[in-house]
Amino acid sequence: MKLHRLWLTDFRNYQKADLEIAPGGLTVIVGDNGTGKTSLLEGIGYLASLGSFRGSPREALVRRGAPAATVRAEATRAGRRLLLEAEVRLAGLDRVLVNRQPLRRVRDLLGAIQVSVFSPDDLTLVKGGPSERRRYLDAALVALHPRNDALCSDVDRVLRQRAALLKQAGGRSSTDVERTLDVWDAKLGAAGEALAEAREALVAMLEPEVAKAYDQVAGTAAVTSVRYVRSWEGPLGDALGVARQQDLRRGANTIGPQRDEVELQLEGLPARTHASQGEQRSLALALRLATHAVLAGTAGEPPVLLLDDVFSELDEDRAGALLAHLPAGQAVLTTTGALPPGVDPALRVRVHDGRIL
Amino acid sequence: MYAGPVQGLIDELGRLPGVGPKSAQRIAFHLLKLSKEDAQRLSAAINEVKERVSFCRRCFNVAEVAAEGDGDALCELCGDARRDATVVCVVEEPRDIVAVEKTQEFSGRYHVLQGAINPIEGVGPDQLRVRELLSRIEGEGITEVILCTNPNIEGEATAMYLARLLSPLGVKTTRIASGLPVGGDLEYADELTLGRALSGRREVEG
Ligand SMILES: [Zn+2]
Repeated sequence: MKLHRLWLTDFRNYQKADLEIAPGGLTVIVGDNGTGKTSLLEGIGYLASLGSFRGSPREALVRRGAPAATVRAEATRAGRRLLLEAEVRLAGLDRVLVNRQPLRRVRDLLGAIQVSVFSPDDLTLVKGGPSERRRYLDAALVALHPRNDALCSDVDRVLRQRAALLKQAGGRSSTDVERTLDVWDAKLGAAGEALAEAREALVAMLEPEVAKAYDQVAGTAAVTSVRYVRSWEGPLGDALGVARQQDLRRGANTIGPQRDEVELQLEGLPARTHASQGEQRSLALALRLATHAVLAGTAGEPPVLLLDDVFSELDEDRAGALLAHLPAGQAVLTTTGALPPGVDPALRVRVHDGRIL
Repeated sequence: MYAGPVQGLIDELGRLPGVGPKSAQRIAFHLLKLSKEDAQRLSAAINEVKERVSFCRRCFNVAEVAAEGDGDALCELCGDARRDATVVCVVEEPRDIVAVEKTQEFSGRYHVLQGAINPIEGVGPDQLRVRELLSRIEGEGITEVILCTNPNIEGEATAMYLARLLSPLGVKTTRIASGLPVGGDLEYADELTLGRALSGRREVEG
């Protein structure tokens, strides 16, 4: 897969933007903070995941005063030229086109292009709560295979329905409540089990890659481990039955994939609480690199790397190590200024005040 | 907030499905600009539908009321003696009947639940025509129930709920085959796909 060009209309602070992307190697976007460098990466990311990798709500993506933003990109995939287009609307559903043909379902765009994002916020992957890591795994699952998107949204929907029912029951059980809960338990049992299995399979693929990448980035050998810890034992359907009284009492879902943890360990200790800031940063980078390697291995083509201001937070050693181990393929990088020594961009553009110079 | 009647209209429109506060406002101001004749035609159409159309007393499909005050209407399909009374196809809404009819794969009768189990929207089995379905099974000598709810989470949950409820009654219960676009509505499925899903239906266990 290759990206050739990106166009933005009324996206973030851009009225119009036209960005050429180098066919191979590094495209570097230089600009001061707050001038719109990251928005360009965010636009590319939007076509890959139909969301902002900064976690911004869609309203934030549309330029003030405009009814909708448009992101368009030209790409080649398996020898086929693709024109991808997403219209982000303030009101109503997005509109998505491939080669000017509207897709019946917006989510069908997923899988058209793949990206791997590295950003200064990555530290929260290690330091933040379990929901950050679950969200990270789920996003990787969707990038790995678009059908996982349906699985994630099914689990989410069933959980919300079950939570609503538990809340309405007000701590009291009746034949009616029990009968309806039986159905939601069966649905959550099947979908939740499938999601946990998919996450576990991904973690198993990630673990050896994380170990390899950590040593490269940190420059020293260390024992890392990635473990997926379920919030229940045995088949989920059975566990939900056991948890029912507790769920009814609290009016909430107390077990399921929404309560699982992804434990990152360094030298046998939880990295969240026991690693230094530098080690946490290395581990976060290693996790990103590992995901990139898994995606590249599965798709047969490496995803486009989006490196958002990564050097501002890295010391010289880690920055150098990251650059030395950057996987082959296309990469788009934003920076406020100088690049670490040894970086040789294939293309360099300047951004100022929502304009590409 | 606007002056009395305008706000009243916005509030009423805002209660319609799929109409948010902003759309309600837009529609209200559009209605304000209508000519008096156009506005009266719209309100007459609403009145007429409320007076002349009700729900079928048997299957809860829409049914035209023959005479004034006749609240016990029977829909066209229930009134058709050529249709097979032993097979009943359970759907969520009357519009789903239209979708199934288009396939020409089904000649039995229908039962409209008037929704699907959806706790988020406060809809449980009690808010649906479930009890009425159960009483029809015995009363009409029904031998097969086809669960034709939407292929989304709520439709699947409703089908499972009904299958479990029907299983002790000894009636054959089937579910339309998978292959329909997942997460969608029946009304968006094309006739061929829905027809295949109907003819490929499988028996489900409660
Ligand atoms: Zn009828």
